[in-house]
Order: sequence, then structure tokens, then C-alpha cells
Amino acid sequence: MAETKTPAPQHAIVTMQGIGKSFGANRVLSDISFDVMAGETHALLGENGAGKSTLMKILMGAYRTDEGRILFDGQDVTALSLRDRIDRGIAMIFQELSVLPNRSVAENLFILREPLAFGRRVDSRKMLREARTLIERYAFALDASARVSDLAFAQRQMVEILKAISRGAKLLVMDEPTSSLTIHEEETLFRTIGQLKQNGIGIVYISHRMADVLRLSDRISIIKDGRLVGPLDPRKTSIDDIAAMMSRPKGQVPLPAAAAPATHHSVMAAGTPALEVDNLATSRKLSGVSLSIDPGEIVGLAGLVGSGRSTLGKALFGVLPDVSGDIAVAGGPLRPGSVSGAIAAGIALVPEDRRLEGLIGGRSIEENLSLPRLSDFSLAGPLGPMATARITALFRQYRDDLNILCRGPSQKAQELSGGNQQKIVFGKWLAMKPKLLILDEPTSGVDINAKRDMRELVRRTAGEGVAVLLISSELEELLDLSDRILVMAEGRITRSIGRMHDETRLRALLQAEAARQTDIRAQGVAA
Amino acid sequence: MKSSSMPLRASAVNFLRDHITYVIFLAITLYFVLFAPHFASVSTAGAVLRITAIVSAMAIGMTFVIICGEIDLSVGSLASFSGMIAALMLDQNVPTYVAALLVLGAGAAIGATSGILVTKLRIPSFLVTLGMLSIFSGLALTITGTRPVSIVDDDFSNLFWNGSFLGVQAPIWWTVVLTAGGYYLLHQMPYGRRVYATGGNAVAARFSGVRTDGVKIFAFVLSGMTASLAGMMLAARSTAGNPSLGAGLELDVIAAVIIGGTSLFGGYGSIVGSVVGAIFIGILGFGLLVLGLSTSIQEVIKGAIIIIAVSLNRR
Repeated sequence: MAETKTPAPQHAIVTMQGIGKSFGANRVLSDISFDVMAGETHALLGENGAGKSTLMKILMGAYRTDEGRILFDGQDVTALSLRDRIDRGIAMIFQELSVLPNRSVAENLFILREPLAFGRRVDSRKMLREARTLIERYAFALDASARVSDLAFAQRQMVEILKAISRGAKLLVMDEPTSSLTIHEEETLFRTIGQLKQNGIGIVYISHRMADVLRLSDRISIIKDGRLVGPLDPRKTSIDDIAAMMSRPKGQVPLPAAAAPATHHSVMAAGTPALEVDNLATSRKLSGVSLSIDPGEIVGLAGLVGSGRSTLGKALFGVLPDVSGDIAVAGGPLRPGSVSGAIAAGIALVPEDRRLEGLIGGRSIEENLSLPRLSDFSLAGPLGPMATARITALFRQYRDDLNILCRGPSQKAQELSGGNQQKIVFGKWLAMKPKLLILDEPTSGVDINAKRDMRELVRRTAGEGVAVLLISSELEELLDLSDRILVMAEGRITRSIGRMHDETRLRALLQAEAARQTDIRAQGVAA
Repeated sequence: MKSSSMPLRASAVNFLRDHITYVIFLAITLYFVLFAPHFASVSTAGAVLRITAIVSAMAIGMTFVIICGEIDLSVGSLASFSGMIAALMLDQNVPTYVAALLVLGAGAAIGATSGILVTKLRIPSFLVTLGMLSIFSGLALTITGTRPVSIVDDDFSNLFWNGSFLGVQAPIWWTVVLTAGGYYLLHQMPYGRRVYATGGNAVAARFSGVRTDGVKIFAFVLSGMTASLAGMMLAARSTAGNPSLGAGLELDVIAAVIIGGTSLFGGYGSIVGSVVGAIFIGILGFGLLVLGLSTSIQEVIKGAIIIIAVSLNRR
């Protein structure tokens, strides 16, 4: 039980000293020192893949550190297991909340340690009483008898947090806790965090939203390329400062510089844009999205996590059922909401989640490659057999073209490396000769060589006259590839910027746009 | 390609591990050959194949449904129902072939209904087809107030059971024809690829433009049609439509498909495997009978062997 009522004089709950970690030859963290005081919110920022989650896994005990040590409440816990550390009081609040939706708040709080009455019956009344006491102590706006499925997301988060601290957690790790919250709910979460701090609980707050971080946290640290920058004092730091610290200086980009990007104007056909979108909206996420892409043009789509970039890609591809607005592909109108319609019109999507949305992992490479256009491979009409020789020829062409490393056409897709899997997803759409290629995080989770190959491929595809909509969280990649960048925030396209090379400026711009849109919406909610 | 890069022994071990049920199947057959009187004979083989034809037919349709990641529990009662309406139509002097086609059409329509309920209303197929099982076993009993309807149409009996062509009996022909047709559809045609894609990863299939709902509905149609066909074979065998002929057959059919290596979670499987599975169950039943075991103890042994075979065949 967390008995500390008043914040103890500043003492560190957790101190990580000189942490280092390598996976094989790949060094992901070097010499990181990070601490959290009682009653403090220490924010942790960093790009995807910078090493934030590795550091947190080391803190939780899911990974063992190669170097350094971890002190918790003054004791060395470096050698302890995940289980033991949770018992000592380190808790992680997961994005996917682990509450039971069909049970009451009280039942969730006391699961596996229900108060018992005579005959080992669960004493529901006592459980409810104790739950209420607990909720009052932290002054949460929560009804102990409510069913969790009836609660808003922020309140479920409170249950999760309360469950952790009622079991004695003194340090909470929150990973992107606002990602599923509405504006209203964000305020609730921020109040909750305030209550926790007053009760002497330390918080590690991981987020992409710098405005939130500046407002909430007592200290800020940044992980960049496996090293820690900071801690910084938020009162003396601005978004621009942080953006500059997170960006790589020009010339230090580890990718070999590519040939001059194809200027789309050289290949652009006269007149008709490849894609024209007017006033596209979905019921929950997007509103008033309009854009146009020329053949051969690469348009980057930038925005923070949750800004609606992937939703826009999926809406164009017809995966979402509730899309309204006008879409025209090469001048021809396209009714939204049908994948086969979008494919027939010439739209292709390389989705963000390769394993879930991109590939049939248990089937062969050639089956995956031929899937979108199986009917074209049928001999003698719709009742004819498959032209297996032609499918194998397709496989050979794309294996050579995209440099796919594999044993053969019948190897299962799931046996390949991430980069080679991504090439198959790419290949299956290139084989369709699309007019518009939507790429959602095309280089996430692939190694550096595959990254270079993918970029080369994107340029080549655009050079052949295909319009490309590139969604990426890697700003350096967006800047490198795009002819033009559209900025998204809160489900709208808020700015369009031409060619630009300054990663720091783009990063600061994204944060400013997100903060501005949040303000606008908050005012709308308040009014 | 695989075998050349791998030592022969390792690939043989791999083959055995992938086809462990075939090994068990061979061992059990060998046991019957050695210890059951007169088991190794052409007449035994013919009898087993004839017994098996009904389960084989249904297993072929069921294979499509299970590879899609769904299940069809209604096939047994649908077979009973189909036998009944076939017998009633013949009783009303509907021409043989017209009656047969109408029954097949009814099976297709019922399968389509299940498929639409599963995909459009998103009700789990287990529940939809459990409901269908109940509905059609009830209807089969209700039409005639539980009385069997005898079939005097010789064409019908010959077509589905008693006839023979080129010295091979009708049920064996049906097995061969359905196996070939199912094989072509699943392993040669684009539809088959879509079935594997739907069952392997429905989301990615949808993201690749596969109309997964349509693929599933058609799989249920196939299962409904093969169940109707099997129902007519059952009716022809006993020269009567009997409302409880197909009761419980769905268990043998699903067991045959799973023993044949099809994954209950979808995405993997083959037609030939399902037919081999059906024959395996047939041999098991027949062999135990020849050994002189009572039907009740047969059920126990059959169930145990099915569980062992499937547990060794896990993916």
C-alpha cells in the first residue's frame, strides 16, 4: 500500500546508472543515467527506435542490462526479475489496458485478493467499501460499483492506475497514455497525474506530444541514437529547443546520400492529377481533408501519432466503411468504402502493420505476390486453372527487381526478414501498375540496407509516373523523398510545405500545429 | 529445391513429422491386415470405400469452410433433411434428375444462408450452424411426423448408390469425382488461393482486395451442397428418406478434415488429406467391427484414436 500522504523530501525512487545494452552487434543504449524522484513526473522523449522502450523494458526487468545498475528505493534491483520488481513497486500502465470490461471497478481493483467472508465467499460489500476508500484517498472521479465497460477510456485508465498503486506501486511508467483519449479525457488524465504526484508517486511519462510534456513534467530527458540528452528543465526549454535536440545535424544521416531525387515535373503528364480528394471525412477521425497529387509526384504526409495520417491512407484505399467526400483517381470518380473498387481504380496501399495487414504469413511468397490480381492469372476465363508458370515468372521478376532474398517461390512469407517481407508487399502492388501508391511507414522495422533499397524503390516508382503518398514518422525520410509535405493534426490537413531540408524546423512545426489544433478543439468543447 | 539442400534423412524425418497421421493410419491398417480375419481383400477395400463415400463427400465441402477459419456443424442434419425432401419429391413423381438438382439447390441456398449470417451479421459460425443443425433435424422429423418415406425410384438408387459404371460402384465414383472437383477448385483455381488467404489472414486478404465475405459464403454453399449430395446417397443406400439418417455425421466429417491435416484455425489444409482422413475413419470403424467389437466400444476407441491423431498433428 502506498502510505505516504505527504511528498517526502526529494528522494529518488529509482536511479538507473550507466545503463548499456546491445542486441548482437547492434548497440542500442550506451551509458544512460536516468532517475525519477518521489512525486515527480520525468518525461522521456525520443523517435521511434531511439531506445525508449528498450530502456523501459530494462527498468521493468523484461530485459537484463549489459552494463550499469538500477537502484529502487535505495536498494540494488539490477538482478531482480520482472515479477520481483513489480512486487517492489514498479508498474507499467499499458496502452492496451488490462482491465476486465465486464466486471465492476471494485472487482477489478481487488482481483486475485478479494476480501473473503466466512466460508471463503467473496465479501462484495467489504470489497466495495474498501474500493471507495481507495478512490477517495486519491480523489479520483470514479464510481466503485460501475461496470468498467460503461466507463470512458480515461476512467478505465484510472482503474488501471489505481490497481497498480493499491498494490504498492511507487513508480508508474506511462507509455503514450493520451493516445486513445479525447480532449476532455486528457484533462482528466492530467488531473489524475497531479493527484498521484501529491501522493508521492514517481511517474515516467513517454509521449510524442511536446506541448503536453512541457506542461506536465518536472524534468525532461531525450533519448537519441541510444544516448540520453538531459535532463532539462521544462520552464527553461521550448518546443524548438527540443526539436533541435531530437534532430540529427545535417550530414550525420547514416544513410548513403542518394542520387538527386527525380523532380516530378520532368515526368509529369499534362493536366489531370493522379489523385484528387475533396472534403473527405470519417465519422470519428478525419474532417474536411482535401488534397491533390500529380502523377510522378511524391507527397509526404507528416503528423504526430494519432493525427489521422494512417486513417487517411486507409480511407482512400476503401478499408474504412464510414467515409464521405469525393475521391477521383486520374480524373475518374471513385466511390469510397470498397477495397476492390479502389484497387480497380489504381490505388495501392502498403500498410503500416506488415504482419497483420500486409501478408498472409503462412502462405508462399508467390501466393502473396499474386493475391491482388489472381483473376488475371486464370487460364481460360473465370473457371480455368491458375497459370502457375506465369505466377512463378512474376515471382522471378520481382525477386530480381526488388532484390528479395529468399529460398524460392514457395517459401513461406513469414520466414523472411522484415525488409524482405516489406519488399513482397511492395511487389504485389507494383505488379498491378498502380496510379497511386500509398505507403504507410514503409521503412519501419527494416534494417538500414533495406531502408536504402526502399527509398530507391520509391523514387524509381515515382519516376515511372506513379503518384506516391508517403506517410512516415521518420522526418528525415519525409524530407529526403517528398516533393511536398502536407502536415496533419487532429484529423485535418493544416499546412502544405514545399521542398524543405530542415528536420528541426519540420519537427517544431508539427508540434506547433498539433498544439494549435488541440487548442482550437478544446475551445470548441468548452464553448 | 528443399530436399537437395537438406540431407535425405532430415527431410524424411520432416516428412514424417508433417504427415504423422498418415503414419498412424498405416500402422492401424497394418494391424487390421495382420489380426482381423480376411481384412486384406478387394471386397473389404470396396466395402470401406463405399462406407466412406458419404463422409468423404461432406468432408470435401467442409474442408473449404474450415480452411476459411469457420466451421459447419449443420451438415449431418442437412443430409437427413435432404434425403427426406428427395424421397418426398420422388414420391410425388418429380423426375429423378430434377429432384436431385432441386435438392442440391436447396443445400446451396441453406449454405448461403449460414454464410450470410456468419459474415454479414458477424455471428460466429459455431452458433449459426448449431442453430441450423437444430432447425433442419427438427424439420426433417416434422415433414412426415417422423415417418420414413420409402424410395421406389430405381434411377435414383442407381445414380447415388446401387449402380455401377465400368465395374466401379456409384459411391466410389462420387468420391473420385468430388475429390477431383474439390482438388481443382481448392488447389488449381483462383478461388482456392482466396480461401487460403482468407483463412490465413483475413485482414491482409481484405487489404489485398479479396472479398473475404464472399469467399466464406461460397465455402458454406459448397458445404451445403456436398451435405445435400451425401443426404441423397444416404437415402439411396437405405432406399428411403429417414429423418435421422445423418444425425451425428458432422462429428465424423470434422474429424476426417482435421485428421487430414487441415487446421481448425484456418489457413492450412488439403482436399486429399480430408478424403484420406475419411477413409481412415472408415477403416477404423470397419476393422473394429471385423475384430468383433461391439459398436459401443468401437465409439470409445474411435474417439480416442481421433484425439491422439489430431494431438500429434498440431501445427
